[in-house]
Formats: sequence, C-alpha cells, structure tokens
Amino acid sequence: MATTTTQTKMQKGSTQPADAQQKIEAFRALFADAPELGKKALENVIAELKSQVSEPRAKVESAGRVGARLGQRSELTMIVPLAPGGAKRLRAFLKMLDGNLSGGADKVGTLHDMRFVFIDNDTRMLFATSFDGDWDVYIDDFVTKIPDFLDVIDSAWEGWPGIRSPQAKDYLVKHQITAEGWYVANPDLTVAEITRLKRIGKAVDEFLDKVGD
Amino acid sequence: MLPVKESVGGNLSTDAPTLDLHEIQATVLRQRPAPYFGTHVLLRLDDARAGRELLRRLTPHIDSATSWWSAANPWLFVGISYAGLEALGVPRDSLQSFPEAFRVGMAARARQLGDEGANDPKTWDPGFGTGEIHVGVSAFADSEEQRRRVLAIAREQYESLSGVSVLRSQDFGAQPGDLNPLGYRDGIDQPAVEGSGVEPLPGQGRPIKAGEFILGYPGESGVPLPMPQPDILGRNGTYVGFRKYQSRVGAFNRFLRANGSTEEERELLAAKLVGRWRSGAPLTLAPDVDNPALGADPQRNNDFNYTNDARGRQVPFGSHIRRMNPRDTELARLTDVNLHRLIRRGTTYGVPYDPNALSEEADEIPRGAYFLFISAKAMATIEFLQQEWINDGNFIGAGNERDPIIGLQNDGATFTIPKEPVRRRVHGIETFNVLRGGEYLFMPSLSALRWLSELG
Repeated sequence: MATTTTQTKMQKGSTQPADAQQKIEAFRALFADAPELGKKALENVIAELKSQVSEPRAKVESAGRVGARLGQRSELTMIVPLAPGGAKRLRAFLKMLDGNLSGGADKVGTLHDMRFVFIDNDTRMLFATSFDGDWDVYIDDFVTKIPDFLDVIDSAWEGWPGIRSPQAKDYLVKHQITAEGWYVANPDLTVAEITRLKRIGKAVDEFLDKVGD
Repeated sequence: MLPVKESVGGNLSTDAPTLDLHEIQATVLRQRPAPYFGTHVLLRLDDARAGRELLRRLTPHIDSATSWWSAANPWLFVGISYAGLEALGVPRDSLQSFPEAFRVGMAARARQLGDEGANDPKTWDPGFGTGEIHVGVSAFADSEEQRRRVLAIAREQYESLSGVSVLRSQDFGAQPGDLNPLGYRDGIDQPAVEGSGVEPLPGQGRPIKAGEFILGYPGESGVPLPMPQPDILGRNGTYVGFRKYQSRVGAFNRFLRANGSTEEERELLAAKLVGRWRSGAPLTLAPDVDNPALGADPQRNNDFNYTNDARGRQVPFGSHIRRMNPRDTELARLTDVNLHRLIRRGTTYGVPYDPNALSEEADEIPRGAYFLFISAKAMATIEFLQQEWINDGNFIGAGNERDPIIGLQNDGATFTIPKEPVRRRVHGIETFNVLRGGEYLFMPSLSALRWLSELG
C-alpha cells in the first residue's frame, strides 16, 4: 500500500500571524542539521516565506479516494510494477505514437497532461496525470467507451485485472501516491473551459480586427 | 404490437419479457397513473420479530411487475434501509455485501452528493438521516378512493403491531393536471428497460440493459453488477434513492418576474430552464410557442434528439432535461449517456403551484416532491448526477452553472440561454428546490421479502 493520506489538506484558508511565526520556527528547527548552504538560503528567504505562510490560499482537497484536488483539477501519481515484457510493449506503443497520445487522449475531454516514465531498469513505471474532477465517477464510462485502449496500455502493468473488472479501481488506488505538494496556475479552468475561452478569445480578436480597420 | 388500454409505459412488445416480472416489485417498471394519488409511510422497527412479522403480513399485498404496464388498480411497494436490514436481524456477512454508500446512508454521503449549505443533512426534517427510518411503504392509486382503500390494507398490517412505529406519513398527488410543484408536467422521459415486454415510446432511445436497473441481469458492460448476498436476497431487487424536496415557489416566481416583463417572456424563460413548456411540450418540437396537445401526447412529447440543436438555441445546454438526458449532445467529457439513467417516480405533495405566489412566506408553504430514483446502482448514479450533471456544467460546456431546477445555487449564479446573435445570461438564479430529507432504500424482490420475513 503506497499511501494512506486520503485527506490531504495542506492549508485551510489563512494562518494567523502568531501561528505563522510558530510554523516558521518549527521549520527552522529542522534546518539545525542541514548543510550550511541550506541554512543560509533559508535565512535569506525567511521574511518572504513568513508572508507566504500567512497568506490565504485555496485548499487542497482529496480527489475522491486518493489523490489531491485543487479547484476543478485533480492529480494522480502512480508507481506500478511492470509485467514481464510490459516495458517493451508499452514503450513500442508510445514510440509508435511519437510519444504523444493527443489523438486518443483528447477524446476523454478532461485530461490536462499524462506522463509515462520507465524507472528501475524497466521494472516499474511512474505514471502521472492531472485532470478535471474526480476520476472514479467516470470509470464505468471508460469501461463501455474505451476499454480496449486502456487495457492495451495497462496490461503492461503487473497484476492489472482489466478495466472491466470490479477490482480495477482498487488496483489503481493501491498503487496511487497522493502528492504532498502541488501547484496549479488556474485551478478553476477545466479543459472544456479552456477550449471555450480560446474560442471566445478568437472571436473577440476577429471582432476587434474588424472594428479596428 | 398490441395497444394496451390505459397503458402507462407503451405498447406490448411482440417479444415476451425476459425478466422475472413476478419477482420484481411493480414500482420498478410501473409508472404513476394519471391522475395519481398516494401516500408514503416511513416506519421504524423497534424489534426484529415485529419487523419480520410486518414483512410477512405485507408481502402478499405487494404488487409484482407482472402486467406492470397497467396501472388501473392501486398498488403498494416496500423499501428497506440499511438500518432497517440491521433491525430485521439480517446476518452480518449479508449486511457487509451491500455497497458502502448504502450501508452508511445518504446523509453520511453528503460530501459525495454535494448536499451542503441549504441542502445539508443538518437542516433535514426530523427522522431523515438519523438511522431511524427502517421501512418505507408507499401506495399508488388513480383516485382518492382507491388510495384510501389500498392504504387501509397497508395500515392493517402495521397498526396492530407493537414494535413498529410510524415516523412519517405523507399524502401525495391529487394535483390539478398532475403538475409538479413548479407548475410543469413531469415524469415524461423514462429509460426503456430491455426485456420488460413493452415497446419503447418514440424518442425513448434504445432499451437499456436490465442489469442497470434490476440486480441479477447483465448491465451495459455485459456483466451483472455485484449483488447483495445470498442470491435470494439480491436477485430481482434494486435500490431507491428517496429524496424530499421543498419547492421555493415564491423565489421561482420572483425570478421569472425579474427576468421577464410579459407573461410570454416569463413562460419562455420557464420553458428554457426546463427544456419543455409547462405542458410538457419539448422546445425542440415547439421552439417558439407552447403546444399543449403535443405536451399531452406520450407518442410525440418525447420524440426528439438534439441533432438540429447542436448549439442549444432551442434547448439550452444547461436546461434540466438536457442535463438529465443529454441524448446525442456532444459532451465535453468522454461519457456513456446510457450509464447514468435513473427510473424516476416523482410524487408531488402539498399545495398546488400558484403562479401568483411571490412572497418569501410562499417559499416555506409545505409543497414539493418526494422523488424515488430507482437503479441497481442508485447510490453511484445519484452521486454521479449530483456531482457532474446537476451541480456542475463542465460536462456540457456550461462552465460552473448548475441545474436551474434541482441544483444547489451559489450567490451570483447564472443561467445561459444560447441565442442569435449573442447569448443571454440570466442572473439571480436561486435554489428553487431545497432538499429536506433523504434515504437509500433497498427494494427487495418478493422472494427476498419472504426470505427476510423468515429470518431468525
């Protein structure tokens, strides 16, 4: 079991000044046995760090069972063991598509990015993605809409039960590790919203071009 | 095809039903009669033996789905909450075989359901969400007299039993024109269930695999959903999401008045919110003016798709019916629209809709609807709908707008009406239906009811 932190809440709103001071002091104490350059760096940024700690910020919540969620966006990070021959097959699949899954992944409509990284001499894979909403509410849709594409990829994983299996969700959860820290520039913008805003931006530009003539 | 007199579902199919209709409770397939009258009774079991005795007495009076397409006679159905199954003394391993959301109950799933703020379980009517509601018995009839008659049968079974208490009894129906609390004809669009023996109505779409609605049959993915154990308990049963809404009729009318200066404008806005005129006529088929004859005709009032309305000029993307059944709308997310359907039984209670009610007091006059949402995975589907299709708009390109009829609105909420040359964005939309209670019930087969009554 990779993790048990299902309720990642890094910050809840703003921190009181006294509270911030306390946090900074506790953090500073951890640097007692840090290398000199680390200590020095900390002293240089301590004032700015303190103001950042005190600032109100959006809450990182849980994305369903595992994973972190910020606004509309969720992250999923997994380290999975690879089945014998799995790395070879999956690498060939990714290479065949020039390492870019845009054709198929676009259809899902919620994926912002995906990364497939082979580690430990092709015995394990780091898979990281971020997407809109919670993933598990749509798993049944994947089962009826794109089951075979998922299984072509995921059959590289050791012990993958198949997307149609009732155990598929548990498998993913078992190998998922919740990110402890996460930054999203626009947590309120979904893939669909970005597409819409691009369309509006284009229309506005066309309008301004006409008016500006 | 054999036309059925007084049919509520469609015409009999030439193919024989493949479902065990004699085992399935009638309400799963049988729609409300028109007009409809009924009563919901919620019971608490204080003693396992009394509970089993109640089921033993009640079961012979529960209608099966044999000839479900006729609603000419009144009928009863029964549902049992997880707390109720515990109170009946169902064995531990059997209890554990129910899905988690059912075991913890609707109130405990408030986060997943988005039941917060005005819909928070803390604000619910007494009894709901407390674990006290064990058994729900409902009566449906096509006249007041028949309602009384069938309810009296139910009462005879529980009133004399010590150890069974009535927590709540709510009459419903008897609404002029069968309109819902906001003044619309409702309940028109229902999923067709494969193997149930009736031809789908025009526009109903292809029949959906029975396993989506009844346990023990293959679902859309080709396999049956996990079923509570033992088999006799699970098979031919299903789940009901029971939700009580209070309709804020004053707020609804104030919204229409604030955004429409004439009766015509207000009625068009009311139609845009739902996607149908109050008569039931869909905007796709009657885009500019209401057509009550169309609204009243089950052969025509659901016979459409959105092929010629890809931009939402007739039925806005954010309207209630387009959200609840997007049909062929191109969605922003990869979605199988056949996986998120529910069989709905809306039961309106209280004072009928009053178009002139404008006060805040009118918001609190008891009137609204008890909804029964029926599915073999009702908990998962209701959570999906609440999260994705009701309290969000991203899936259909409506940003963060919410369902204008049953959504929980934030301050500053809007509703967008696509239009030439530019869209109209209506501000000041409020929560028009507030949740006042809810429970998940298991609706066992008739054999399962007998099995439960013989426990211990």
